[in-house]
Formats: sequence, structure tokens, C-alpha cells
Amino acid sequence: MRRNVVSVVIATLAAGLVGAPACRQAPPVPVAEVVAVAHAAVPLDPLDAAWQRAPEHVAVLLLQDLVEPRQTLASTPEVRVRALTDGARIGFRLEWADAVANDLPGAARFSDACAVQLPSKIEPNVPAPQMGEPGRPVEITYWSAAWQANVNGRGDSINDLYPNAAIDHYPFQAASLSPDSSAQREMALRYAPARAVGNPVAGPHASAVQDLVAEGPGTLAPAPPAGSQGLGKRTPAGWAVVIVRRMPDGLTGPTRSQVAFAVWEGSKQEAGAVKMRTGWIPLAVRGQP
Amino acid sequence: MAVVHNWQIGRSMSYWYPEHRPRRQFAAVFDVNKCIACQTCTLACKTTWTTGKGQEYMLWNNVESKPYGFYPLAWDLKLLKMLGPQEWHGGEYTGRTLFEAAPAGKRVLGWRPDDKDYAYPNVGEDDCAGTIENGAGLSVPHLTWFFYLARICNHCTYPACLASCPRSSIYKRPEDGVVLVDQSRCRGYRECVQACPYKKVFYNPITGTSEKCIACFPKLEAGEQPQCFVNCIGKIRLAGWISTPEKASPDNPIDYLVHVRKVALPLFPQFGLEPNVYYIPPVHAPVSFLRQMFGPRAEAAVRTYQSAAGDPDLAGLLGLFGCTEKVVPRWRRQDEQVIAQDETGREILRVPLREPVHVRKAFDEKYQVARTNCP
Repeated sequence: MRRNVVSVVIATLAAGLVGAPACRQAPPVPVAEVVAVAHAAVPLDPLDAAWQRAPEHVAVLLLQDLVEPRQTLASTPEVRVRALTDGARIGFRLEWADAVANDLPGAARFSDACAVQLPSKIEPNVPAPQMGEPGRPVEITYWSAAWQANVNGRGDSINDLYPNAAIDHYPFQAASLSPDSSAQREMALRYAPARAVGNPVAGPHASAVQDLVAEGPGTLAPAPPAGSQGLGKRTPAGWAVVIVRRMPDGLTGPTRSQVAFAVWEGSKQEAGAVKMRTGWIPLAVRGQP
Repeated sequence: MAVVHNWQIGRSMSYWYPEHRPRRQFAAVFDVNKCIACQTCTLACKTTWTTGKGQEYMLWNNVESKPYGFYPLAWDLKLLKMLGPQEWHGGEYTGRTLFEAAPAGKRVLGWRPDDKDYAYPNVGEDDCAGTIENGAGLSVPHLTWFFYLARICNHCTYPACLASCPRSSIYKRPEDGVVLVDQSRCRGYRECVQACPYKKVFYNPITGTSEKCIACFPKLEAGEQPQCFVNCIGKIRLAGWISTPEKASPDNPIDYLVHVRKVALPLFPQFGLEPNVYYIPPVHAPVSFLRQMFGPRAEAAVRTYQSAAGDPDLAGLLGLFGCTEKVVPRWRRQDEQVIAQDETGREILRVPLREPVHVRKAFDEKYQVARTNCP
């Protein structure tokens, strides 16, 4: 019996050696902080090889259990983070396990999502990690799998969400309205109130990310456009998402800031405050682009 | 949590925000006994407000056949089961409201319908409460029963949707108590969809925000009743303003029906939201069912309603339902006429207490011809 166990162990080790490419690099050792490595350009593609230049930080996700509605059951356990910067912009690559992609909105269908949070100012005392605090805002860039699907080409109709839906008529498709005329667009807006008042979540979405600012729970508000970008792709194990945004003012050389992350699992109907999140994690920059 | 007073359950209760009643509160009375489920109200609302993308499944107004018709599916049964058996003692509800029964981490006890729950409006409408054997359905009173329940947002005094929104995107207008979702602020978290026991907040999957009945507030602001009221074929609805019981005024139609005669009752008052659509219960449904749905005063309300034929004031006011597009804030009866008045006491219209009867003889003596109603 003992001999058999030894044989299995040896065979397993041998198989591992045979299967390993001779030139494979050792996986980066996870680091205790997020280190943004200087690079000539920050790639938007999460599969770009440049991301391997940055060390990986494994951020343990915590329950958001400070304010109602609370996350009472743990879902996504961790998010693996890498960061690159070209001096003007900083990119974060978030990767987490998620067996099923949830990117289709519906009455009870929620989107997978993630977000990066930074303090608006680099100060010795950081604002509360839970969405900042009054007078001490945090800047958040939010990525949604549903918006990514729109950017990737999914249409803006109910049939794109429910292929078998039958629609009799929309007022803005009346024969008296020329297709794509201003009159038709104005009529369509009448029946899409969130779009009519310019709510950024209402789409149509040309970007998979949104810049936001908050000064405490429940205060999340759209931030002035900052040119942030995002791209999420499915991996064999889940999602890999890159969020690229403006470099925080003063984050150079030895100066450190803080960063926090959040992940929403659509299949668990997570949205808003119901999420898995980190506390503040030190953020440093290494090298010159 | 604050402590507020809810007169419908006869006691104070916990609520997320302090008591802050609007300057006046939109309210309505629906006479269940007159509804024929023609769904004209449903279509009046649908064609006015919800014909956009993402609103296809939404029915801000719906009519369902009780006990087995629903929209969304089993909306009331699921919540009643979650809440469990609770008790009234006299006019005081001693059980737990949805706010008091909230699970850890939530502000309200609730559930969120699945897509499929909206896919079969009133699917059980043809199912009555029992089997009809050997012609029993032809006997009076019926051994089996059903009734039509028309539903809109109740524009509650203590809205669960408003309490549950972590972003304060839902607000109650101080001028009329209408509850609205701020479409510029909502981010589609759907806590409100989960919290509203009546399931009258709907998620728009195209715009990513939640939407709900707005009580046709542009019409209210113009002194007119909402679309579902003025298009009602059965004239079952009356819109107006309700006072708290201690300020009830008999010349206010809603106050008279709710507070003075106590013939109109809130829907599931035990949930604790102080809903502001009041129902005159059906006269032929079992009292036990009506008590569960409308509270402990249901049996007395039915008796009062059944006495209306000999009660000129009550019968007269019921005759004002559906007679004018205007909101009727005041009314009075003058002998055989019932008069609707505006806030200043100016007459809007008057209707006879009893409609004159004209008998059209089947045979026309002058022309010596038999009359027929066929075209």
C-alpha cells in the first residue's frame, strides 16, 4: 500500500515535469500592495502580454456588511489585480473566478460588474473605504458586463434580451415619423424617461465603464467625463477586466496612495451595496515609463 | 429606524424615516363590486405611459381575478407565506409589519419576481375557488366565488420602495403624496422591486432603471383624475385626497367613504405601508378571505355597502364615481341630487340620486309596429 502511494507521487511529479514547457516563467509572487509598473502604454486588452510585467496582488474580498442593504453571504472570494501606468494614465487589470457570465439584463437578471476606487486626494489620512465620507470624496470607475455586451455589439431592443418577444407597436415607429429623424428620436425619448433626463446608466452604452464620485454610502453620482476606458473578456475561469483611468494627481515616485476594489456577482443578484469589496490597499508606482 | 403612527393598523410602528406626511395625500376608492375586468384601465395606462422599449411587460395598472389571478405571479401569496400567520386584536394589528419583519441586512421583508413571474398576467383568472357541481353555480348565493381586483401603485404613506432605496432615488411629493422614482438618480439596484409588497415598481431592462405608476401627476396638477380612472367603463373609481382620521371631513368624498362610513378599506393593511387606494370589498366573497386582504373591518364594510340602497348619502356619493374627469375634493347631497364641488365649493356637476326610468314599450301603438333592439 505504501509503495503504491509513493509510486503515484513519483508519477505525478514526473508528469508535471514532462508537461511543463522548458521556458515557462515562474509565476509572479503575489505582493502585499498594488504596484503600478511603468510602461510605455497601458493596454486596454486584458489578454495583452504587457500585464505580465506587473506583479499580481491577490485582494481578498470582504462582505459589504456595513450599511443596508448588506451582503450577508460571501460570494466571490478574491480578485487578482495588476496595474500599469504610462505616467498620465493608470490601468488596473482585475481577474476573478466566475463560472457563468451574467451580462443580460432582465427583471431579475443582474450583471456581473467590478469597480476601482481611489481617494480624490492623496492625503495622509484616507477617507473611509466604504464609498468615502462627506467632504472627502472618492473616485470610482465602474465596469458592467451588460454594458460591455452593448459595446461588443448587442442591440438596444427587447428582442436582444428576449429573442422570442413579440411587440405590436412602438409610438416612435409610427409611419408618420421618418426613420432616424429628429422627430422620431424625440418621440422615442418620451418613452425612455431615464434617457430623456440624461441618466448615464440608461444608455445606449458606448463605453463599458462609468466614472463616478461618492462622499459616503448612498451618494454615488456621475463624475465629469474623465476619458476612462474599460474592456472585459471572459477567461476559462471567469472575467478579466481592464479599467484605465486618469493617473491620480501626485502619485509619482515614492508617493503612495490607496486603492480599493469591488466585485458584483450577477447570478447572486448582487447590485449596489450588495457586493464583495476590499478595504484600502496601498498603491505604489515603480519605474519610469 | 424611526417610530411612526399608522392609523390603518391602529398603532405605532417602525419605519426607516420619521413620519412626514405630505400637505395633502392622493387617494382613491375602488368599488370592487362594479368592476367587470374589461381591462380598459389597463390599456388606458399602457397606451399613455408604458409603450417604450423595456416597458413591454409593465402593467402599472392591472386587473386580476381573485383568488387565483395574479400579476406578477402569486405576488400576494408569496409574501403572506414569508410573513407567516399574524394577528389583529380588534382594530389593532399585533403582528409584524414588513418593516418590523425585515431580515438581517434588509430594510423591508420582500421578494423579487423572476422574469417568468411577469409573463402570465392573470393566468389563473378562470379558476374559481371550488368546483361547481350539479348546477350549483346557478344558485344564489353562489357556492363558488371570485372577484376582480384592479390595482395601481398605492402611493403609500410609508412606501416600502422609498424606504428600501439605498440611494434615496424614490421620493414622495410633499404637494400630493405621489411616490415617484427619480429617473435621473436611479441606478437599477431593484431593492424597491423587492420591497414593494404590491409589486408595483418595475425594472426597465433597456434603460437600467426602475419605473412605476406616477398617478398621472400632470393630470392631478391640472385638477383631473388619472387615465385609469376616467377611462373606467364600470365607473368603479374615484380619485381625491384623504385626511388622517382625526381630520376627516364628511364633505370630502374619500374621507366620507373611508373614515366616516368605513366602507372602503386598504389592501393588506397588515403590511404596514398605509396604502392610499381603498377598496369597497366584494359582497359575495368569504369573510375570512376578505379579512386577510382588507383587514378586520371587512365584514362591517360589506354590511354598510349592502345597506346603500336605503342610504341616500352613501348611494348618492357612489353615484358620483366616474361621472367627471375632474378630481372631486368636496361633495354634498341636496334632496334627490348629488353635487360634486371643487375646493372653493363651486359646482363641478350634479347627478340625480336615482336615474329616471323610461319604459320603451315593445309595441309602437302609433305606427302599429313591434320595436326591436336589433339594428
